[in-house]
Amino acid sequence: MKKFILKTFLYIIAILLALEITVRVFHLYTEDPPRYIDEYGVEKRVPRNNGIAVYGNRNQAYSEFDINNAGFNSFRDFLPSYEKFELAITGDSFIEGFHQNYQNSIGKKIENNIPSIEAYEYGYAGYDLANQLHLIHSYKKDFDKIDEIIVYLNYENDLKRGVYTPNYERIKMLKSPLFKMRDQIKLLAYGSKIGVLEPIKKFVSGKAFQDKEEGYKTNEIENSDLAKEKDQLYLQNFKSLIKHYGFDKTKTVLLLDSRKTSKAFLDYCAREGIAYLDFSEKFKNSKKATTLIYDWHWNDHGRSLISETISEYILAKYPSMKQ
Amino acid sequence: MLFNSVEFLLFLPTVFFLYWFVFKKNATTQNLIIILASYLFYGWWDWRFLLLIMGSTLVDFIVGQKIYTAETKKQSKLWLWVSVFFNLSLLGVFKYYNFFVDSFVQLVSSAGYEIKSIWTLSIILPVGISFYTFQTMSYSLDIYYKRVKPTKDFTSFVAFVAFFPQLVAGPIERASNLLSQIKEKRIFSYRQASDGLKLILWGFFKKLVIADSLAPVVDDIFANYATYPASTLILGVCLFSFQVYGDFSGYSDIAIGTAKLFGIELMSNFKFPNFSRNVAEYWQRWHISLSTWFRHYLYIPLGGSRVSKLKSVRNICIIFLVSGFWHGANWTFIFWGGLHALFFIPVFLMGKNRLYKDNVIGQSSALPSIKEVGMVLWTFCLVTFSRIFFRSPSLQDAFSYIRQISDRFSYENYVHPMGYRMIDFYILLVAFILYEYRIRKHERSPFNFKSKWIRFLIYVGVVLGILLFYDDGVNRSFIYFQF
Repeated sequence: MKKFILKTFLYIIAILLALEITVRVFHLYTEDPPRYIDEYGVEKRVPRNNGIAVYGNRNQAYSEFDINNAGFNSFRDFLPSYEKFELAITGDSFIEGFHQNYQNSIGKKIENNIPSIEAYEYGYAGYDLANQLHLIHSYKKDFDKIDEIIVYLNYENDLKRGVYTPNYERIKMLKSPLFKMRDQIKLLAYGSKIGVLEPIKKFVSGKAFQDKEEGYKTNEIENSDLAKEKDQLYLQNFKSLIKHYGFDKTKTVLLLDSRKTSKAFLDYCAREGIAYLDFSEKFKNSKKATTLIYDWHWNDHGRSLISETISEYILAKYPSMKQ
Repeated sequence: MLFNSVEFLLFLPTVFFLYWFVFKKNATTQNLIIILASYLFYGWWDWRFLLLIMGSTLVDFIVGQKIYTAETKKQSKLWLWVSVFFNLSLLGVFKYYNFFVDSFVQLVSSAGYEIKSIWTLSIILPVGISFYTFQTMSYSLDIYYKRVKPTKDFTSFVAFVAFFPQLVAGPIERASNLLSQIKEKRIFSYRQASDGLKLILWGFFKKLVIADSLAPVVDDIFANYATYPASTLILGVCLFSFQVYGDFSGYSDIAIGTAKLFGIELMSNFKFPNFSRNVAEYWQRWHISLSTWFRHYLYIPLGGSRVSKLKSVRNICIIFLVSGFWHGANWTFIFWGGLHALFFIPVFLMGKNRLYKDNVIGQSSALPSIKEVGMVLWTFCLVTFSRIFFRSPSLQDAFSYIRQISDRFSYENYVHPMGYRMIDFYILLVAFILYEYRIRKHERSPFNFKSKWIRFLIYVGVVLGILLFYDDGVNRSFIYFQF
């Protein structure tokens, strides 16, 4: 029995070690640049970090990232001035763009379309509208110098709160020894990424016992009363955010997909003179896939369509930039 | 409790520890911990299921004694019928009742009378009911046919019925094999336990890598068959063949491996059925515990092949139709069984049904002959064709699936529903087939290599394969649990 237990234990250790080496050699794990909350309460990445983001179990998406001086993934540093024409794009992971090489980001594509522009991508995974407006408000000095601001709004997720509060707990948790260990042991980082640790996490947190079968969900239209209630709440949050942080209508535009945005919200924007760029038509008419095959983020083509949408808007507003 | 769950990951070492360190005194204490663990394992789904298994255990324990002590053959037969009636009633109520009612309503409706199905029951199918009822029935049948003597040790009998590794999806054991081992004190064997762990690892590979990674593709193709061309539909059913094999044989390997950890040898349930050279050989290699059950307790009592050819053919039809019906209360399974009878009968009439009983493809050479490859491919095609009925939700869907293959006989590139590269899965399957061919003579020793280093590399490869193909979103239940 002793021999069995000892040998089993040794084999497990040896297999784990071999797997750790394999995961490192083939870079199956993804790197997650460290996060922090700055003196304004803005959550961002620690500047000057670079690495490789990997998606899918078998390296299906593999791209480089580079965190710039401002703490965002971008091919350029952000140095706004009154002399140049700058465009800021704020948003969540769709704008942060870890899914594609940072040299081929939306901002870069816009600069390729309009060479006289500098595009600053203020993207951060998990940002909602509260994060974005708080960022713009906190860095008012910089944003005053920026000529146009595009705010990406994912209606379903981004209007769930009416005021921003920094999540210090999460940052503290990410800095805990357990998470540090996860980042150091690449096999753990890989396992965590592909979801193999999810059942264990659920079990440890007791959630495994609370899981109930939800049953089959159909694509039925959402209950209209519930949808109305949600719209009201989201609109209320939107108003609250604008009131708290301001919204410069002369140079700020929402970027959204009208297929996934409530009509009541769009009507409100139209009434209040809040401009929005709707990319739904371009996506709908696209003959090529617009999202990555492993998750829902935009692929290269999707990003091209987004950059086209923004470029067309800029060129329409500033015809002189066409040269 | 699923084998592929965190709960089981904690459960197994705990029970293993208690079994070999705390309850090791004698067979009774060992059986007590097996009973407790097995009831916990089974009750994890729903504690009410335990009442059924307890009922089945109690009835067959008593009936076994009665059959044995009956003074006349008639009395003995009567007691046997009590067991058969009780166990089939459990199946009848929980598995087949609604099917019979619905079929009756449909029959009446097709005759022009409109009646509403108000008699159907809202009950769930207890996990593995077909497996343990057949196991307890086999005990009574074996006593009746004087193959075994009834046990007076109730603890052993409860452990025999409820033994958790094989409780919910087999192998369906016989008292002569399992009960005889359970009655004796088990002594730890290093080789047996390490063989068990290896089988468990291989079983997990088959389940998590082969079955679970193919499941989304198969589900997508069968759910949307009306929109796909022939190439995709053929792909779908071929992949289903591998999915169901990986799922069920994976489960059996984990079950046999787990039993080995407790010093118990279960019968083999799969012997590489995909390398069968005719349908008869296929049934000697696929779900062996069920096919031998039907042979021993139905086919042979009906006369087997020792009666006239015509009666033998009748017997073959009966066992295949009953076997189909055993799988589920749906005409699709009965049709599936009927198809296999049709495939089997010509082999039987040509006298080739026992031709490959004791040998395997490439028996005396490293590579199979071209003739063997052709035969294997032909058998695979037949079996896979029948799986259209096995997998489709209704007969109408199955026939529409086949019609769609002939109506849209064209090739189109298939795109994975989640967008994964299909080539990854094709490479995986080819590697799996080649590996299984390499180990084709050793279904209980999947890592049968002399070099320690090669074995170690294969262990690493297997675990790496599990990680590379792990899919968080797949329903991890086993297909055969529904039976």
